[in-house]
Amino acid sequence: MTDTVSQLCTLLEPFNTNGTALSAATDISADLNIDSVTVMDFVMEVEDHFDIEIPLNVLSETRTVADLAKVVEARTRKG
Amino acid sequence: MQSALKRSTEAGTAGSVTPTSNRSLAQNLGGFGTLAEGLDYAAKGVTGFNFYSPRGQLQSVLSYAELRRQSMSTARKLLSLGLKRGDRVAVVAETGPEFMAVFFGCQYAGLIACPMPYTMYIGGKDSYIGRVAGMIAAAKAQTVVTGEDLLGHISEGAARAGAGRVLTHAELQALPEAAAKLEPFRANEDAYIQYSSGSTSSPKGVLISQKAIMSNTRGILRDGMRITPEDRAFSWLPLYHDMGLVGLCLSAAMGQVSVDFLATASFARRPALWLKLMSDNKSTITYSPSFGYDLAARRINGEAVTLDLSRLRIAGIGGDMVRADVLEGFAAHLSVAGFRSDAFLPSYGMAETTLAISFIDPDKPIRVDTIDRHALKHEGRAVPARGSHARSFVVCGRPMEGSTVEIRDEHGAVLGPRAVGRIFVNTPSLMTGYYNNDEATAAVVGQDGFLDTGDMGYWLDGEIVITGRAKDLILHNGRNIWPQDIEWAAEQIEPLRDGDVAAFAVENDAGEDEVTVLVQCRARDLATVEALRHEVSAAVHRSAGVECRVVMVPPKSLPFTSSGKLSRAAAKQKFLSGEIAELSLLTLAAGSDSLEAVH
Repeated sequence: MTDTVSQLCTLLEPFNTNGTALSAATDISADLNIDSVTVMDFVMEVEDHFDIEIPLNVLSETRTVADLAKVVEARTRKG
Repeated sequence: MQSALKRSTEAGTAGSVTPTSNRSLAQNLGGFGTLAEGLDYAAKGVTGFNFYSPRGQLQSVLSYAELRRQSMSTARKLLSLGLKRGDRVAVVAETGPEFMAVFFGCQYAGLIACPMPYTMYIGGKDSYIGRVAGMIAAAKAQTVVTGEDLLGHISEGAARAGAGRVLTHAELQALPEAAAKLEPFRANEDAYIQYSSGSTSSPKGVLISQKAIMSNTRGILRDGMRITPEDRAFSWLPLYHDMGLVGLCLSAAMGQVSVDFLATASFARRPALWLKLMSDNKSTITYSPSFGYDLAARRINGEAVTLDLSRLRIAGIGGDMVRADVLEGFAAHLSVAGFRSDAFLPSYGMAETTLAISFIDPDKPIRVDTIDRHALKHEGRAVPARGSHARSFVVCGRPMEGSTVEIRDEHGAVLGPRAVGRIFVNTPSLMTGYYNNDEATAAVVGQDGFLDTGDMGYWLDGEIVITGRAKDLILHNGRNIWPQDIEWAAEQIEPLRDGDVAAFAVENDAGEDEVTVLVQCRARDLATVEALRHEVSAAVHRSAGVECRVVMVPPKSLPFTSSGKLSRAAAKQKFLSGEIAELSLLTLAAGSDSLEAVH
């Protein structure tokens, strides 16, 4: 597990109400049964934690924790 | 949240917001023939729109004067493309100055703007592209304008819909201005197309005329909100939705009211920013579905005491069933900030009537009517009651001046007080029709000119009380979700077929719609059934962005009408009565050949 993935899993844990085992392959919207409003709450936590902005078009192509880790890594490098 | 609030207090980069009042321009509340005429007037003053960043910094300021200048320039650029009067221009309605210039630019150019949504869901790319493609096709729009970031998504949707031209805002603004004299829409012409109605698979564009939008904004400004020069609005509502576009954007412009905007996605990430910025800006008017108040109250935590919401005189509610318990919770949380619960303003409306149908008196507190559940469900009567068999509804006010509302029984007879029936409306704000879809229009607008709203309700002392919907539509956090879309998404999964899925809302005790999806399941082993359940849930998430309860039911258990259409109402009724029950997991685990549901 990369460092970004493990940080994301930690941030995701409070939203993981049905106790799914989190990994790089976890599909954030599908596996966790969290609705679209709560997902945005998680996105905010990620943005604040890494001090980045994740645009909506990028978010729409993001499914798994691994996808999100790629986005985070690309954006933290830029900054 | 704390860090976001702290950051939001840092100095903005766009100077200062537009003033609240026009000192040298008399306020004119919607006394105009067209949107362009209204903007011409507002442009003589100093008020306008202000846009905040996701972290709450002032990002751009667009006075009505500047908006008019940019709109007229954009109109000439659009006309340089050779567009003809009445041609449709689809534009992604992101909350920002670029969208405003295109929307009002269309007004000056005599073009029909079609505001389209932006993508909001994690992993939602494919369903978004399908959605915009359907909208572009339904409007027969040949020209589509978008921000740079959504260009890929929109180009794909436009190609699928056969739209020839996709432009970014930058490309549009780089065009030369046509030399022709601008001929804005006249009072007897069309204004824009609103998509708030219809499923993804067959979206319907609501065609709104200048007459309709001007009558509705006038009603909102004068009767609904009783606007004064001291008013200042705040909105995080999406501009592709009728409540966001008409309620706190077009109405405000037609009344020369300054508006401070936070993009919907920014609100969703940081709901407390809404309250913080309203405190900073001394906002007097805002609007939200019930869930928005709930979200903000839960996120504000200890910060509430630092806020001043004492100027807020209208906290409008619309877009979903108005929920008294949520409003009480918000008022209790925010009373420390000076929020007064008589600011709540329940209202009722829909895209087909431009927006507003009824408002309560803005000077009076909300009124809750508590009635007997059994009499409501089985006798269609609203009988006052108390205790555990009772249910509360918020009264949504009187029809706006010039509008006639009738509540009718199933035979069309007009009902009196406390009798529950279907709500019909006749209003000068009525849509011209669904664009290019006479059949759909005829299905809801009768020969007598009344619109069948699809909502159920009753009269109480001349005010409307909404009890629910007659249609299959699912309401979730202020959004309309079409069961067809959920079913279609689920039916794409192997081995499900057309007709294997029924989606409907089951109302819980709190009055919220819970999405329930019945799936006819032919598999017999537990692992396969659970995998299918998971896939259906995931597909529903991606297409509609909602949590749902997936119930696996035996094959051939879903009811169909004689014409072969799935009957959701019958499926729901059979599910609630236990006639259709979930496949027994024990039976499945045992590998039994029997697929009988265990009762």
